[in-house]
Amino acid sequence: MAHSSFPRLEDTNISLDGLGGRVFAVSAAVGVIGLAVTFALGAAAGDGMRHFGYSYLVGFTYILSISLGALTFLPIMYVTKASWDIVIRRLAEVMAAVMPLLAVLSIPVLIFAGRIYGWAEPETAALPAMAHKAAWFSQGAFLARWAIYFVVWSFYGLFFWRQSVAQDSSKDVKITLRLENYSGFAIMIGAITIAMASFDLLMSMDPLWFSTIFGVYYWAGGFVSFFAVMTLLTMGLQNTGRLTRIVSPEHFHDYGKGMFAFTFFWAYIAFSQYMLYWYANIPEETSWFLHRSREGWGKLGIVLIFAAFVLPFAGLISRFAKRSRKLLAFWAFWIIAAQWLNLYWVIMPEFSEGFTFSLMDVTCFIGLAGIWLAAITRLAGGHSLVPVGDPRLEDSLRFENA
Amino acid sequence: MSQGALYGLLTEFESPSLLLEAAAKVRDQGFRKWDVHTPFPVHGMDDAMGIRGTRLPWIILAGGLTGLAAATAMQWWMNAIDYPFVISGKPLFGLPANIPIMFELTVLFSAFATFFGMWGLNGMPRWYNPLLTNRRFRRATQDRFFIVIEARDPAFKLDQTREFLASLGGSEVEEVHESAED
Repeated sequence: MAHSSFPRLEDTNISLDGLGGRVFAVSAAVGVIGLAVTFALGAAAGDGMRHFGYSYLVGFTYILSISLGALTFLPIMYVTKASWDIVIRRLAEVMAAVMPLLAVLSIPVLIFAGRIYGWAEPETAALPAMAHKAAWFSQGAFLARWAIYFVVWSFYGLFFWRQSVAQDSSKDVKITLRLENYSGFAIMIGAITIAMASFDLLMSMDPLWFSTIFGVYYWAGGFVSFFAVMTLLTMGLQNTGRLTRIVSPEHFHDYGKGMFAFTFFWAYIAFSQYMLYWYANIPEETSWFLHRSREGWGKLGIVLIFAAFVLPFAGLISRFAKRSRKLLAFWAFWIIAAQWLNLYWVIMPEFSEGFTFSLMDVTCFIGLAGIWLAAITRLAGGHSLVPVGDPRLEDSLRFENA
Repeated sequence: MSQGALYGLLTEFESPSLLLEAAAKVRDQGFRKWDVHTPFPVHGMDDAMGIRGTRLPWIILAGGLTGLAAATAMQWWMNAIDYPFVISGKPLFGLPANIPIMFELTVLFSAFATFFGMWGLNGMPRWYNPLLTNRRFRRATQDRFFIVIEARDPAFKLDQTREFLASLGGSEVEEVHESAED
């Protein structure tokens, strides 16, 4: 009978031990080689590293969005006093705690900002329409905002992780209460900084265009990818004999719900952005979409509707799919690819009028993903893979979907 | 005291674990029209009873697709056929403008299908359940756990089923009748 055989922590391995070193070495090597190859390809392109700059922006904003997904997931779980996630929460904690590394990885974007962002081009900056935005898009203001985002995110990322790790040994209930108290504010600050950052990181490539929902659009893509990455990381750990039994099909079912719900949410937001501009049909608003509906980008946009919305929506709608390991893994890989494609479609039309694709777009993403995985492996290696001091861990182990 | 047709046989248990064991035995006997009644949800009961997945999702899917089709057809007929009127230079039937209604009607019809489909599968509306006439059964909302096998079950044979229920180790087996006045 199900109720008499709840899994216990003693039944499985909750430490990375030997695996940590191997994964770190391999992913760090993949990361360094990937970025070196990307750099070489970028230099060989002979366009003053312009293509490299955009490729890097695609990879970087995508990896960042996954960590931002983790950074929003944690406080949402705390304010709702959720317990299903506790057994897998450490994974989200390390994904959020690598923010300082992402701050470092953002430096190339700043270095190549002059080639990426429209406001940094003298011709665009001199346009009359840019006059009232000049102060906002001065180099100093941009750098200051950039610093604020990463300081705030690093603070919260490290805060959630450190407090939880401290609880492993102290078993102090007060830590849970403190995190619950701070989480409401963290969600609010997160919403503002993520929205503003998406304006700076992505929207300001075309500084004349504006969309108030753009921050939600960027966040939604990252949040659905976060669930996909969590699914694959958990499965990877289970395949090596870690977290077996304690992470049950019930928890995977919830990953599936997360992927399904935010696949739809992403589409809802993407369409909301599109429809209002289509309907009002004002040139300064439609320019962004017009640009992305021509010369091959339009076809990619249609592909995106199916790849990032229709197919995963249909594929994940049934309970059966969410509880099937193989299907869930398939859709997790699929969503990661589709959401990467989404950012490609957002960013690359700014680089090239017509559709373009280069090997460095892929190597850059693989390189950054390698560095990122190496960092979270390093953080996860030092502590238990499960927040063993959480007072409600027991609830999480017994979790069953209604 | 008049008694209607036999509704089923009832037996009572004192704990969820006894009930779970007994339910598994009823399941293994191949009964179909039977149920358990407990004061609170008992984990593992679906397995013990051998309950298969509900058909409700398929009803909801049908409802949702009906809503989607209805919204599309309605807007196409109204805007492009019955009263063609150009608004801000848009096509008479422009998909983006119609998607919000398509979405809303899909959700609305899905919700109706869920709600009324649940009614249908649960045999509702039903003004009266014969079980509620049984005095003993009233404790199903407090501290007792019941198994009821209905007389309409194909495998139901009054004497044999009574004997089988008695063998499960609960309290004595009682008959429940339709429209009995207690």
